[in-house]
Amino acid sequence: MTGTLLFQSLVLGVLLGGLYALLAAGLTLYFGVMRVVMIAHSAFLILAAYLAWFFNQQTGMDPLLSLVVTVPLFFLVGVGMQRLLITRLRPATLTMMSVLLTFAVALFIEGMIGFVWSGTQRRIQLPYSSASVEFFGAHIAVVKLVAFALAALSLALLYLIMKHSRFGQALRATIQHSEAAQLVGIKTDRVAGFGFGLGLATAAIGGTALSLDATIYPSLHWHWIGPLMAIIVVGGLGSIPGAAIAAMVLGIGQSLLQVPLGTTWAQTIFYVALFVTLMLRPQGFFGGRLAQRF
Amino acid sequence: MSEPKSAASSQPEYLLELDDIQAGYGRAAMVLRGLTIKVPPSTVVCLVGPNGAGKSTVLKVASGLLTPRSGAIRVNGQDVTGQGPQQMLSSGLAHVLQGHSVFREMSVAENVLLGAYTLRDKALVAERVAFVQELFPIVGERWKQLAGLLSGGQQKQVEFARSLMVSPRVVLLDEPSMGLDPKTTATVFEQVVRMREAGVAVLLVEQNARRALETADIGCVLDLGRVHITGPAPELLADPQLSELYLGGRPAEPSPSAGA
Repeated sequence: MTGTLLFQSLVLGVLLGGLYALLAAGLTLYFGVMRVVMIAHSAFLILAAYLAWFFNQQTGMDPLLSLVVTVPLFFLVGVGMQRLLITRLRPATLTMMSVLLTFAVALFIEGMIGFVWSGTQRRIQLPYSSASVEFFGAHIAVVKLVAFALAALSLALLYLIMKHSRFGQALRATIQHSEAAQLVGIKTDRVAGFGFGLGLATAAIGGTALSLDATIYPSLHWHWIGPLMAIIVVGGLGSIPGAAIAAMVLGIGQSLLQVPLGTTWAQTIFYVALFVTLMLRPQGFFGGRLAQRF
Repeated sequence: MSEPKSAASSQPEYLLELDDIQAGYGRAAMVLRGLTIKVPPSTVVCLVGPNGAGKSTVLKVASGLLTPRSGAIRVNGQDVTGQGPQQMLSSGLAHVLQGHSVFREMSVAENVLLGAYTLRDKALVAERVAFVQELFPIVGERWKQLAGLLSGGQQKQVEFARSLMVSPRVVLLDEPSMGLDPKTTATVFEQVVRMREAGVAVLLVEQNARRALETADIGCVLDLGRVHITGPAPELLADPQLSELYLGGRPAEPSPSAGA
């Protein structure tokens, strides 16, 4: 591996890691707030990518503009999903049953996408689709940079919301001690709903970022959910910083391994990391009590 | 406490009334079966009784964490039956839970300020912060530290401070001395006395029943979800049969702090 190739892979890994980080942050949020394993997270991701593609197809405008619609829409769908479906599950078996429930939701979304837009592979063509910039000898596609910038901005915003907003404080209090949160006057049901909405909003942003650079098809979400699940377990279930760090490390790892192993085998890094984590530190690297810290 | 009491004329006879309450969890058997408890202002009422008598459940019903199946709850003379913890809080009722209920991964400051979550008046919040810091010096000293890293007694004081941010008129305390060393326990009971002096009504559940009755004005003996005996705390302490049954069988001896 030449120095330039290594550097190129490293930069691409960082860019990929950024997108993983945003998506994994959303996925770990559901678990942190409500102990929900959200299998449908990546299905919503692909749905958002389709909506971005469709928007571009119909209006000819930049797919990034579709965020104006998809982010609030996904937020509301998330709130609705939590209030109407998740709260119906019995608390004692919530985590297990949420796997089944959200698995069904994922199948439903996949089916609807296929029904509405057919199974044909889709790709957005943009004036800057093939443009790239040179960065110390590495050629980086502009669309990847845009996607990364979007993911990084959203993560920063998510962090600020969680750390400094009134809602974020209420959400963290709800996660840490739900009864005590109710007793200081926090409406924990509503806060949990908003937390779920926030998670889905990250899927809307991630999907739009993905649509700039990927060929999409209805079943694509199955390729995403595995690595994302592995990332949040390695990072520690419920920990947003843990998810972001694990996503970055594994994204870079995947990118570097693609050179000697090819794309298919490079994917295995997620499962190797998952396996090693479960053997050495089953709660994940920022798991357990650390998961609630910001 | 420093805040002025409301005018005596508007003061109802009881700050908290639980009237013929029936309550339970899920489909399981009823825990409270026709329980009635009345707490006047400036009074500490202590619930004693064996494990499983429903003591904690009484507090959960009073603070709105658990909705009763039947019966009425009145705070300050107003019917608040069926309301959630948020509304109970705004009618002046604070509940300090059993065990540790600080938000562990937040700073002491965040914990205390979350106690004022429902207050929008910043000047008032600042005033209350100064007040609880004076009352519990440790809260001010550990202001920036993570609450979960404090000792058990210090965490308990953070919980007290958090619950006092809204200037409650009724405070529910569930096993406040659990897991505390004797010195901290003394501090906790000292705070209970100070709350009473400030006109607050306190409903106290305590494993250390003898110690609690020494601080309390009225004692209620709970068994099988009902109040069996209600009476002035010193009388309950002096009753040899009660001592035998509920207070660990030690002979009752009058204590200098009883009814102080």
